[in-house]
Amino acid sequence: MEIERPDGRSPNQLRPLACSRSVLHRAHGSASWAQGDTKVVAAIYGPKSGTRKNENPEKASIEVVWKPKTGQIGKAEREYEMILKRTLESICIRSIYPNTTTSVIVQVIHDDGALLPCAINAACAALVDAGIPLRHLAVAICCSVADDGYIFLDPNKQEEEKMKAFSYLVFPNSNVSVLPERSSQEGGEPTAHGIITSVTHGAMSVDDYLHCLERGRAVSARLSEFLRKNLEPKSSSESSRAG
Amino acid sequence: MEQRLANSWRQTVNEKNFIVNALLSELRVDGRRPFDYRKLTIKFGKDDGSSEVQLGHTHVMAIVSGQLLQPYKERPNEGTLAVFTEFSPMADPSFEPGRPTESAVELGRVVDRGLRESRAVDTESLCVLSGKLVWAIRIDIHILDNGGNLVDAANIAALAALLTFRRPECSLGGEDGQQVVVHPPEMRDPIPLIIHHLPIAVTFGFFSNENIMVIDPTHHEEAVMTGRMTATVNANGDVCSIHKPGGEGVNHRVLMHCLKLAHVKAGDITAKIKDAVEIYNTQRALRKIKRHSSSVALDVGGTPAKSGEKQNQVDGSQLPQSKFKDEASSMECDATSSGQEQNNKRDGVSQKFIGGPSSWDPYSECVNPDLLKASLASHGPATQRTQKGSRSETKAEEPPQEMKIDSSPTDAGLAAAQNNEGKTLKDAVKPKNKRKKKKVSSNSGN
Repeated sequence: MEIERPDGRSPNQLRPLACSRSVLHRAHGSASWAQGDTKVVAAIYGPKSGTRKNENPEKASIEVVWKPKTGQIGKAEREYEMILKRTLESICIRSIYPNTTTSVIVQVIHDDGALLPCAINAACAALVDAGIPLRHLAVAICCSVADDGYIFLDPNKQEEEKMKAFSYLVFPNSNVSVLPERSSQEGGEPTAHGIITSVTHGAMSVDDYLHCLERGRAVSARLSEFLRKNLEPKSSSESSRAG
Repeated sequence: MEQRLANSWRQTVNEKNFIVNALLSELRVDGRRPFDYRKLTIKFGKDDGSSEVQLGHTHVMAIVSGQLLQPYKERPNEGTLAVFTEFSPMADPSFEPGRPTESAVELGRVVDRGLRESRAVDTESLCVLSGKLVWAIRIDIHILDNGGNLVDAANIAALAALLTFRRPECSLGGEDGQQVVVHPPEMRDPIPLIIHHLPIAVTFGFFSNENIMVIDPTHHEEAVMTGRMTATVNANGDVCSIHKPGGEGVNHRVLMHCLKLAHVKAGDITAKIKDAVEIYNTQRALRKIKRHSSSVALDVGGTPAKSGEKQNQVDGSQLPQSKFKDEASSMECDATSSGQEQNNKRDGVSQKFIGGPSSWDPYSECVNPDLLKASLASHGPATQRTQKGSRSETKAEEPPQEMKIDSSPTDAGLAAAQNNEGKTLKDAVKPKNKRKKKKVSSNSGN
């Protein structure tokens, strides 16, 4: 039986992606990332001197401020801030600038499902725009599990509400070697292939979760291609689209 | 805390002197004349009531939302308006998250005063149940990038968002007429707010030399200037508010000059806002018609099937535009009654359809060929009936024909169906009076 999604996508199809760098003028680095109708703008200021009391001064620390579209800042926003902070701390090379704080500010422009992955992608692109040294890039994807065990990627808000469970997964981006022969080999040297972050909502079986991981990893290759193409230094325009 | 302040931007003495000296020769650092505004761009988001304004490097976003709440005790018949300002830390390294600073509060108050005291937004129309339930309109202003002159940009963003905001329609029901029923946007079109006039804020900067005055200062100029004034004026020439919080003393002649300038600028900016809102409204109307037109196509494919077998109706609703299922089902109810508004909608719809594939929904996939043949077969006898019916109903055949024409190239198995369509295609192209004769001949041929 063919599964139909409300907007006509196939289960493995992502919504159209759009990424723009340097959208703000005062911030040291900024990027906007849109997946379909979900749009997030991230800005980076840093590194600034000093760390907060609870932070380890021997390493650079990251501080995240999450700004929702409207309403008070509540527990959900604090949770997003914490997840974003831990994810970004694992991709930054923290030993380079000890005792500094890099501020990441995320503003939600429109929320149509898969908000946290969109924010993580935007923050990663903004970090590149700011020139913060990173170990590798992070690509985030949302996989949702329907009642019958079927897996849909990148659900929009309506779909998210109907699904049995969904999970946000963050993978490191696939590496491209300078030597052209090496990049075709997949099982080369063991660089980071692991999952950086995984947040699930709702109950799903272990098999479903493992399927989500597989699908997510497969799609992360596509996403990292798009991200890489987008982040290449350009002479003229600052935005590009992929669909 | 001290470390953070140490990191914020400080202007050098050289920069200050450069700016002031340039202004003495009526030149500004970004090349403008003293009374020129920067480039203004107004964009709207996907939802009603969200706008993004860029004034030079300043970037502001405003979002309007509404809620049903209890009114104030002193004003039981009026809705409420509240402005919330967020100086996001992304706009400026010196903005801290958390409690709004005094400049954030000041900005919010200036925008609020311009709207509330001058009665720009009609609050009496927001009353639903006097003394119990009124619409509380909330404007959230997010500053995304501080390039100077946040007040003007925030004001324009708030106005643009208010003009495009639509609140759901609600009616009184229940036994005693005291129950309020809020209709969701799919059932009834949400209605816009009533805005009487547009109060535009124009900010002036004064420098230590009395004769130097600039409009729309950048953040470099703001750090140099010694006095500021914001005049909120509308295009009719009414002064809605004047805000001059201390600073350099200014001659009254200079103030009068400022007010005259503000009147001129307000006219320009009002025109720009209205143009942008016009474009948004036409796009919104087009989007709604596109949705309705696809659902009409779905529906007309379904209604002749209704007369035929019930099975076809079920298949019709499973056609790829399942996204529009809700609207299709509501349209089907209308179709059976075939009221005036339905015909009018179809008229409008079919006119849009003359464009053909460009207005077609890109997400639909090819139609199941068996389904198509079945619905075409049941559509055949329906054409006889409709030609006797009103003129507009014959026009309604164009949408399903065009729909099938678009999808047939994608599915080669529809060759048989295409022969059947061949006659009706010609009918679509030929004018109506000839079309009726053609139908008779095709039916007699059958």
